[in-house]
Formats: sequence, structure tokens, C-alpha cells
Amino acid sequence: MDFSVIGDNLSYFLLGAYPDGPLGGAALTLLLSLLSGLISAVLGLVLGIALVLLDGKVRWLLLGVLGFLRAIPVVMLIFWSYFLLPILLKVDVPALATVVCALSLIGGAYLAHSVHAGISSLPPGQWAAGKALGLSTWQVLRLIILPQALPMMLPSFLNQWITLIKDTSLAYVIGVGELSFVATQVSNRVMVHPTEIFLFVGLLYFVFCSSLDLIANRWVKPGAKTR
Amino acid sequence: MFGELLGPKYLHWLFDGFVLTLILSLLTCLVATGLGFLLCLARISPSRLWSWPARAYLALFRNTPLLVQLFFWYFGVTAMLPEGLVMWLNQPRSLALGLFDIEWPSFEFIAGFWGLMLYTAAFIAEEFRAGVSSVRLEQRAAGLALGFTPAQVWRYIVFPQAVRTALGPLLGQYMNALKNSSLTMAIGLAELSYASRQVETETFKTFQAFGFATLLYVASIALIEVIGQGLARSKWYKQGVL
Repeated sequence: MDFSVIGDNLSYFLLGAYPDGPLGGAALTLLLSLLSGLISAVLGLVLGIALVLLDGKVRWLLLGVLGFLRAIPVVMLIFWSYFLLPILLKVDVPALATVVCALSLIGGAYLAHSVHAGISSLPPGQWAAGKALGLSTWQVLRLIILPQALPMMLPSFLNQWITLIKDTSLAYVIGVGELSFVATQVSNRVMVHPTEIFLFVGLLYFVFCSSLDLIANRWVKPGAKTR
Repeated sequence: MFGELLGPKYLHWLFDGFVLTLILSLLTCLVATGLGFLLCLARISPSRLWSWPARAYLALFRNTPLLVQLFFWYFGVTAMLPEGLVMWLNQPRSLALGLFDIEWPSFEFIAGFWGLMLYTAAFIAEEFRAGVSSVRLEQRAAGLALGFTPAQVWRYIVFPQAVRTALGPLLGQYMNALKNSSLTMAIGLAELSYASRQVETETFKTFQAFGFATLLYVASIALIEVIGQGLARSKWYKQGVL
């Protein structure tokens, strides 16, 4: 084992070609995770609330779309957005944006169901009491339901974000220079010590994910079941 | 963009990829279930000698991306293995089984299967553990009080209930394994995603190539879902006979 290859390329692993070129490496992985984490949280919240409030055909349509997003591999969705978004929108979409788009959609689809489950776990009396006090549906949701349901959903959000960090590595397939892509680049360039390189990169991901995991475990009440 | 359908040659590629995806996922699920069960036993064992290594395994494999793990097995470990073994693994040969032969799989397949299987086993172990912890401790005490041996308590009381509880999440993990098998394209295994990408590159029929692959994925996930529904409704599941 010879870890000098890590030291020699450390700044490339962490930042990519930055500041002389585009940002890459671990920093880009974190940026991708942060962006798609935020968007997927908003998307999940909106769609989850939509699942609660909507009914009839529109709800079935939404369920179908969510089911579709959950049924296809992330790689497939990245391909779809990478190759079809430019054709459909008739503009050049940067690869980074297509990855964020794909990851947010998938994360949002999973979170929508968690949000729906969190809201439905509250007793219906909460809704009735709110309505009886003369609040509108939105006010009941905002003032009564969400403040109780959101803390319950927090563990599933954290779990989804951990999955998201791992899924950013799939940006590799369309050549976005995040951590895994940079690792294969270095590995192909130096031609020796692939073991050390991938161990190191795995360790970096491990640190990112398990620090979120630690936070999650601290917040989850003992015995509470996670997804 | 939409235009005509794909030629038979390309459909054939996609179909071959699909078969490979199915074989890989099926093998992975079978072996990972066994390993996951053993891991779960180690993880809940009262002896630290067993539980700590299992803890470390679960944390490591669950908190790193599958793609990096595949690269590690395919590029990293290959570099460490003795040359003779790598040669032996790469050598094409076939196993004659009377009526039909089984071809020795490609090295990509072995690495892909190994990586995917270890990753899936970590998640399956956690589902089993959740199933076991759903059986209340009082039940074990009651079993012991009735004169069962600890092994019998496991066999007749804890295990059947744990499997029942874990069945849904377990099927979810099988679906994940099927979806995750798409990542083996990164190490050059010609499964469904790889084939769709290849067809796309060759024909420029983006919509058809990815559409067809997506349909096949959705259909197989739907099939697992249907099997799950069937199992949940079956007499076996309702009566908890195991």
C-alpha cells in the first residue's frame, strides 16, 4: 500500500481543477448533494401535501408519476434528463443541471410518500378541530398539521439525504467531474495504486454520509423505525 | 425524435442486456439474502466478537456509494490479487451439466455480482434486524417458560414472525438490487442500461432506446410488486406458517 498518490493529488480530489478550472471533486459532490437535497425536500413537501389534499383522477396521476420515478434506476433517469432535456427545451442544458434535476425528482418522489405518511399519521381530529375553530384548510395545514408532522418526518428526510449523497456518484455516467469521476481520472492517469485511490474516495463518502447518519441517530428517538 | 422503432438487431441487444440484468439481480438477491441473514445474526449476537465486525461492515457498506464499491472491487482489488488468480478468473471455460452448459461468466460479471451482492446484503441484514426487533422480548421469555430450548424459541417463535414483518421491506430491497444492477454498466458489464446507452450511441434514437429499457425496468419492478401482493394475500402469509 502506497498512499503517496493521495497526497500528490489531494487538491484534485477535493476541489478538482479549481481555481484554474471548473469546481470538481469532493466539493462538487457536496454542492450537488446540497442543491438536490434542498430541491428534493421542497418537492417532496409540495407533492406530499398534494397527495393529502388532492383526490380523484389528479391524485391517481400523481401517484402514477411518483411510482414511475421510484421504479426506474437513477442511472436511467439521469440518461433521460441528460439526453432529452436539451431536445425538449431546445436549449443547451449543462450536465450539472441535469444531474440535479434527476436526483431532485427521485428524492422528491420518495420524500413525497414520507410526507404523506407523516401527515396521515396525525389523528383526523386535528383537522376537524382546526376546521371547527374556523381555520381554512391552508391554515390548518400550516398552523396545526405541519408543526406536528415535520419533526416526525425528519428521520426520513435525513435518510433520503444520505442516499442522495451516495447517488451523486452516478453523475459519473455523464461525465460530471465529481468525486467518483475524479477518482477514476486519477486512477487512469497514474495507472498504479487503484486500491488506495478507491479506498480513500470511499472513506471521504463514508465521512460525509456517516456524519449525517450521526445527526439522524441523535434526532431519532430510540426505537423509532426508519425507512 | 420519435420516428420509427428500433431495428431487430438493436432490440436483440436490449433483450440480451435485460436477460443479463435479470440473472445478475436474481443471483444477487439469492446470495445476499443468505449473507444478510448471517450478518443480522452476527449483528444482534450478544458477543462483541461477532457484533462489532458486523456493525463495522454495515456502516461501511451502507455509507459509501455502490459505484465506488464496484470500482474498488473491479479496479482496486484486481490490482492486489495475485496474477495467477486473475488469469484464472478471466479464463473462458464452461461447465457441462448434461443437457446444457454453463459458460464461465466474464470478469466484469464476477466483480459486479460480488460488489452488488455485498452492498445488498448490508441492507437486507438491517431489514431482518428490524423484523427480529419487532418481536417483543416477552415472547422469547414466554417461549423459554414453556420449556422451549433457545434454538426452538428462534425457530418456532422469533423467526416466523420476523420473516413475516421483514417480507415487505425485503421485497423493497430486491427492487433496489434490480435497480442498482444498472450501476454495473460503469465497470463495463453489458446489462440493460449499458445496452440502451450503446443502442443510443449507434442509432441516435434516444427516445426509443431509453424508452424501451425504462419499460423493461418498470415491468420487472411491477412484477416484484405483484408477487409481493400475492404473497401478502396468500394463506401461507396470513397464517404465518413457516
